[in-house]
Amino acid sequence: MSNNQNSSNMPLFLMSGLMIIYAFIVQSGALEGLFKYLGILKTTDVQVAMCFIAGTIGIIGAIINSIRKPGNSIIDRFILQPLPGILFIILLAMLTRWYLEPLVKHMSASLQPVLGFKIYKVLNLNYVILGLLIGVLITNTYGIPKFAASGVKCARFVLKMGVILLGARYSFAELAKLGVYSIFLVGTFVLGTVFFALWLGNLFKQPKTMTGVLSAGMGVCGVSATVAVAPVVKARSEEMAYTIGTILSFGIICMFIFPTIGKLAGMNPVQFGAWAGTGILNSAQVAAAALAFNAVDIKTLKVAEIFNITRVLFLPIIVLVLATWFGKATGKKLTFKEVVIDKFPIFILGFLLLFALSSMGLFAPATHYKGKFIDFSYNDRSQITAEEHETLKTALANDSIKGLNEEQMEAIRHLVKKHQISGNYEDRGDKQKFYKQGEKRMFAIESVIAAAKGEKIVLDKEVVSALKHSVKQVHKKSKTLSVLTDCMIWFFAFGLIGLGMQITKKSIMQAGGMPLVIGFIAGVTKATLSFFVVLWLVKDVVLK
Amino acid sequence: MSDKNINDNEPQDEMEERALSVFSNEKNEDITALVFSLITVFIVLLFTKWLA
Repeated sequence: MSNNQNSSNMPLFLMSGLMIIYAFIVQSGALEGLFKYLGILKTTDVQVAMCFIAGTIGIIGAIINSIRKPGNSIIDRFILQPLPGILFIILLAMLTRWYLEPLVKHMSASLQPVLGFKIYKVLNLNYVILGLLIGVLITNTYGIPKFAASGVKCARFVLKMGVILLGARYSFAELAKLGVYSIFLVGTFVLGTVFFALWLGNLFKQPKTMTGVLSAGMGVCGVSATVAVAPVVKARSEEMAYTIGTILSFGIICMFIFPTIGKLAGMNPVQFGAWAGTGILNSAQVAAAALAFNAVDIKTLKVAEIFNITRVLFLPIIVLVLATWFGKATGKKLTFKEVVIDKFPIFILGFLLLFALSSMGLFAPATHYKGKFIDFSYNDRSQITAEEHETLKTALANDSIKGLNEEQMEAIRHLVKKHQISGNYEDRGDKQKFYKQGEKRMFAIESVIAAAKGEKIVLDKEVVSALKHSVKQVHKKSKTLSVLTDCMIWFFAFGLIGLGMQITKKSIMQAGGMPLVIGFIAGVTKATLSFFVVLWLVKDVVLK
Repeated sequence: MSDKNINDNEPQDEMEERALSVFSNEKNEDITALVFSLITVFIVLLFTKWLA
């Protein structure tokens, strides 16, 4: 027993030790040249901190596992047993984010003169896809190492944490802007797909239990909808497995095809987010496709999540619809509490909670977008430098700033007077008025910069530089949201590698047969129709 | 069946269980994810806002 225990602990000791040794090497600066080459020098501190923390936790876990017998306590089940697997996936996530992705970018940039395009952009080879591919590759070749099996089961849990944290990046103003269209689009497609799948099931003479659970899975939000609807339509476990298999297989194809089609069609981040959020079923796969389309700008992911979340909000309605539909055949109906309240995904409530806290201004001023906001209040961090101030003051005194309208001149005069873009000092008590005055002056200065750039007016380079800096100084970024976004990205990277590890050839084959045909017809129809509707509706309206 | 790897020959129940979660049900998983997320948010707020 103890030999077995020690040998099963060996991978954990090895991985933890490697992490700590790696942290020391990075800290010594020995890898600086490599980091510069890969363009990851900025991540040095994070690499050291993450490897030290993860390595230390791993060593402590391995020591505890070595000196005590494994039991079935909560600590055993949720920490000590999955720890080797968690560390294994973290190692893969680190490898993907710090080495594989920068290397792929580097290689595709070198190949650009030969090919004429960047491979990583065309194939969306970012950390999301690379992580998933690594997961799929490991499972279907070598197999998941036995010591890592429990860790893989944490993937969905960690993905949910990523989705919850995503809520912090939303603010009510944005959702209000998207609200009407997302509800209209999503509602139509959710209900439409459910009824279409039910009709197809009837056409192909499938059992009602199968059709019911499949229609919910294809219409609403994938796996959680399947789990929620299964008791209502009395679906057997193999039917749930078929449905989940169909959803995931369809989602995998979507995940790879959607970003490519989106890019070929020239969709903007908002359009793609709306399409992915409407057309792709599984929330993790929605996130994967959105990140694959645009991993830098989280806007795509946010819009996709808004649409996805809106779709999830239809779950209670669909559960009720299917309960009514199925009730005719079975005669037994579940109560409202059983079908709706008990089955509503709590992690979505977590997302909504963080969204509410974010809208109240806990992480950044309530008007923030992706943690960025404009701050006109008087403070040192908003001011231009003394040299810039002198440049502008001299230019005004010499009357060398010409060709501007009165509003633009007033904005520059006020900037010189107060050393920063702001509202009127005497109006600082009235926040709304103060903000509007500052915003007006900022727009005026931006129009001066644009006019200089377009050579409509002639300005000294130093003056333009000072004006640009004044605008930059009032654009602030919430550190809290930057760190939370980093956490979210790591959670997604971890979850998606784990998700990839769950995609076996067998699970893909499991989706075969008639449910697969019905699912694919319903899925493709929804994806195609939503593609055109999004292109038609979302283009001009959402991007205000 | 290899000792070090998990392959397709394991019982169906175990495979399904492995594919899902360490948690006994989805609600527990959701609540734990929520609690962990709130702890993360609290720690981040503490070091980036309240103590910064």
